[in-house]
Amino acid sequence: MMTETRTDRSLLLAVGEGDRSALHELYNRHAPWLMFRLRRRCSDTGMVEEVVQDTFIAVWRKADTYTGAGEVGAWMWGIAIRRLVDHLRRTRNLEPLREDRSATVVSAEDQVLVGVEFGDLAGAIDRLSPELRAVVQATLVDGLTMKEASQLLGIPTGTVKTRMMRARARLREELA
Amino acid sequence: MSWHVEPEMLEAYAHTAIDDAHAYSIEAHLVSCGECRAQIATLGDQKELETLWTEINGAITVPTPGIIERGLLRLGVKDHVARLLAATPSLSVSWLGGLILALGFAVTAAHLSSRGFLMFVVLAPLLPLAGVAVAYGPRVDPTYEIGLAAPLSSFHLLLVRASAVLTTSGGLAFVASLALPQKDWAMVTWLIPSLGLTLASLALTSVISPLRAATGLAFVWVSGSALALYYAANTAATAEDLFGGIVQLVMVLVTVASVALLFGRRGSFERGVRH
Repeated sequence: MMTETRTDRSLLLAVGEGDRSALHELYNRHAPWLMFRLRRRCSDTGMVEEVVQDTFIAVWRKADTYTGAGEVGAWMWGIAIRRLVDHLRRTRNLEPLREDRSATVVSAEDQVLVGVEFGDLAGAIDRLSPELRAVVQATLVDGLTMKEASQLLGIPTGTVKTRMMRARARLREELA
Repeated sequence: MSWHVEPEMLEAYAHTAIDDAHAYSIEAHLVSCGECRAQIATLGDQKELETLWTEINGAITVPTPGIIERGLLRLGVKDHVARLLAATPSLSVSWLGGLILALGFAVTAAHLSSRGFLMFVVLAPLLPLAGVAVAYGPRVDPTYEIGLAAPLSSFHLLLVRASAVLTTSGGLAFVASLALPQKDWAMVTWLIPSLGLTLASLALTSVISPLRAATGLAFVWVSGSALALYYAANTAATAEDLFGGIVQLVMVLVTVASVALLFGRRGSFERGVRH
């Protein structure tokens, strides 16, 4: 593996000045994990590729909006997950019949709830129903707002709120 | 960082074969750990990543606007109009250079002989006429096909370009006329003929190709001017009188008729200009 000679920050700074090779280096470093992470949230490979593409085009255009607060990786994920929300919303608008069946929820359902037998947080999270877990993931893990989460999951904002409350209650119960 | 994700865990994560709780902890770690990011990068589909990069690289390759386009943008012209104008062949730097050269010769000729002034008056209207002829149409316009599919109507585009060409060549001719030996109203006798010839060529474009319209009109204008000069040589009237009086009147009529014809037949431009 090549050692990271330049920091992500200095690369991003160079991107802001129109340095194409700096963007390529950032892409090599960040595109793979972004793609894996997006893939866990969207089973449509084509859409994930489009989102990654859009993300790096946005990085190219908006490199100067990075304030320097927080990790570059976190900043990029913030862009990527919002692009995914946009894409999902657009496809839903085109296919109103599929409104409540988002790919993410289906893929979450596909995951068998393995009977983890220890009473730790990981086990508690895994014992949440796929619906509650999807909401926890969108808000707590992915850092989306309630509204964005509702768009990502294709459910009303009110439902996101009630599911979030239920998930909190369940976790508290399990960890008590 | 002392803690890293075990390779087996990363692999399981990459293959979506891991429970959500572990996935969340790996994801939180990847955001801030370059070493683990490099590790998981080796698990990615390299071919897919390369293809994707090629597409991104293509998407961020936007042609940088040229000198004319940047100038127009600075003047407050909307970017899509600026792009269309900058793509006009007769607004290119080389065309404008040609114009300046032609006007320079005419002004020099005017200083060398009295007939030179008439040469300027005959030449100046031909410049915008030629400019408009090569500003629009399938043979000369590199954006012609794009223009047909653009939300801007063909007629609108034609007017935008024609007025841009008319303004630039008219402006240049005006500057040149300031250098003429004559310092009276005769300096601008070329103005109305310019307008008349250009508008007439636009109106004719609804029937024949822009190049043919311009060539025909140029022929009529030059031979008419020659006839007028020949007539003036045999009578008491001076050439200046002719170009100041009759020619101006005729050109005003031509202008009015052309505008009427142009707007009357505007619909015919939407199907594209004749080849």
